[in-house]
Amino acid sequence: MSEIIFGSNIMQLLISLILVSTFMILGSTRLYSCVRAFGIQSLLLACVAGIVAYSTGKSDIYIVSALTLVIKALVIPYIFIYIIREIKVKREIGLYVGISPSLIIGGILVVISYYLIRSINLITELSSFALSASMSLVSIGLFIMISRKKAIMQMLGILIMENGLFLGAISLTYGMPLLVELGIFFDVLIGALIMGILIFRINRTFESIDTDMLKTLIG
Amino acid sequence: MNPVAIVIFQIIVIIALSPLLSGIMKKVKAFFQIRKGPSIFQPYYDIAKLLRKDSVVSENASWIFHAAPVISFVAVLTAGLLIPIYISDMPLGFAGDLIAVVYLLALARFFTALASLDTGSSFGGMGGSREMFVASMVEPAMMLSIFAIALNVGSTNLSYISQTVSSMGLTAISPYHLLAFVALFIIAIAETGRIPVDNPATHLELTMIHEAMILEYSGKQLALVEFGAMMKQLLVFALLANIFFPWGIASSGVTAAGIAVALAVFVIKIGILGAALAMVETSTAKWRMFRLPDLLSVSLMLSFLALVSFIIVKGG
Repeated sequence: MSEIIFGSNIMQLLISLILVSTFMILGSTRLYSCVRAFGIQSLLLACVAGIVAYSTGKSDIYIVSALTLVIKALVIPYIFIYIIREIKVKREIGLYVGISPSLIIGGILVVISYYLIRSINLITELSSFALSASMSLVSIGLFIMISRKKAIMQMLGILIMENGLFLGAISLTYGMPLLVELGIFFDVLIGALIMGILIFRINRTFESIDTDMLKTLIG
Repeated sequence: MNPVAIVIFQIIVIIALSPLLSGIMKKVKAFFQIRKGPSIFQPYYDIAKLLRKDSVVSENASWIFHAAPVISFVAVLTAGLLIPIYISDMPLGFAGDLIAVVYLLALARFFTALASLDTGSSFGGMGGSREMFVASMVEPAMMLSIFAIALNVGSTNLSYISQTVSSMGLTAISPYHLLAFVALFIIAIAETGRIPVDNPATHLELTMIHEAMILEYSGKQLALVEFGAMMKQLLVFALLANIFFPWGIASSGVTAAGIAVALAVFVIKIGILGAALAMVETSTAKWRMFRLPDLLSVSLMLSFLALVSFIIVKGG
């Protein structure tokens, strides 16, 4: 059955658009456009969950889909924009790795995750496209965390990884039990809030959210 | 219809429509900038005016300077015979596939750049080196994005691709299809010298690419160069329209009325694409030269993703 859902054209389209939105984050140098791309990614993820809910007929996945829409596509981007506005940070994201090399590394990561997923012999039961997309989201999120200087981008990277895990979970199991999902959403929301507060603290102590500054000692 | 008649008609269509497309794009741009703008037939008048004038040529120019406009013009027109415009069953389709098209366009670009160096003017050299810088990134991305479609269809022959996609109908829309389309759209911006990459409406020395290369030309030669650029623009759009959205194109054994309908559909498609490009042009600012690799590597990455997702979906 999973092949029917995940093999369908519209699902493939959504998943590849999720990949494109990830590359939008990799390819932009402005904080706002990164946040916007993250919002789009979460919106697409909510659509994926909605389609899974529709084709399996389970009502609790609808709730998961709606929660994704509200929390990840609206509340968390709003938290980001609030942070950026409040600490009056410069709009550019500092880069350790340039835009073009990052994009190429992103492409390599997609290929690597595809081959990793292919080597799992369970391919008949689950869609390799959705799984390799989720795997590449996780690895690209990790890459964003280590290649960007601003603390906000580290926060964004971990949320992209979480989105990838969500995609993997929903393509493997059609969503976990509602209680577990609610727990995860609560975790993500509180995590985003705490990271936001942490960024405020970093900003107050170092007068910058550049993570390079964290190496220097403050007396 | 007679194959010879089809080929001749195709040449006439390309020559007749390319200034019109340029005029439409200028008009749409003027509309978004709340200007009245020149008439959509202005490019025809410009070409006609230039053709009546004599050329002024530098004493230091060699034969390349005289040959380049003609070679570029003919190379682009030859590429036009391999791209499906209004009929998917091209009589000359056997002569070359998409690789031939890409390299015929590259040949035209090569000679324009060579001619820009020929007179030894500093602007010409600057324009030529910038053009080659952009071209070195445009070409692989263009090949990759069309390859993504060719892989899906199973042939690199443009008429065959156009026929197959057109017979597949709406089921042809797939992730790789859309990704490759967006990639080729970005390439079309670079290839036709539009705003994030190059500004066709300026002669400001810091920004111009194509204009800097043809600065030394005047009169009839300038007319040929300008016409070649317009035709190239039309052909890139035709490639976009008839590879990705070929629905409505005529197939073999069609009557004259069918061809008229296909031609009307083609003009509408080209008009929509031109308006979209003009909108992109008005809503973005010209990028710094050294940020261009970022834009083009986005395009390269999109076509790469298209290929990978094709392999994952079909081969997994």
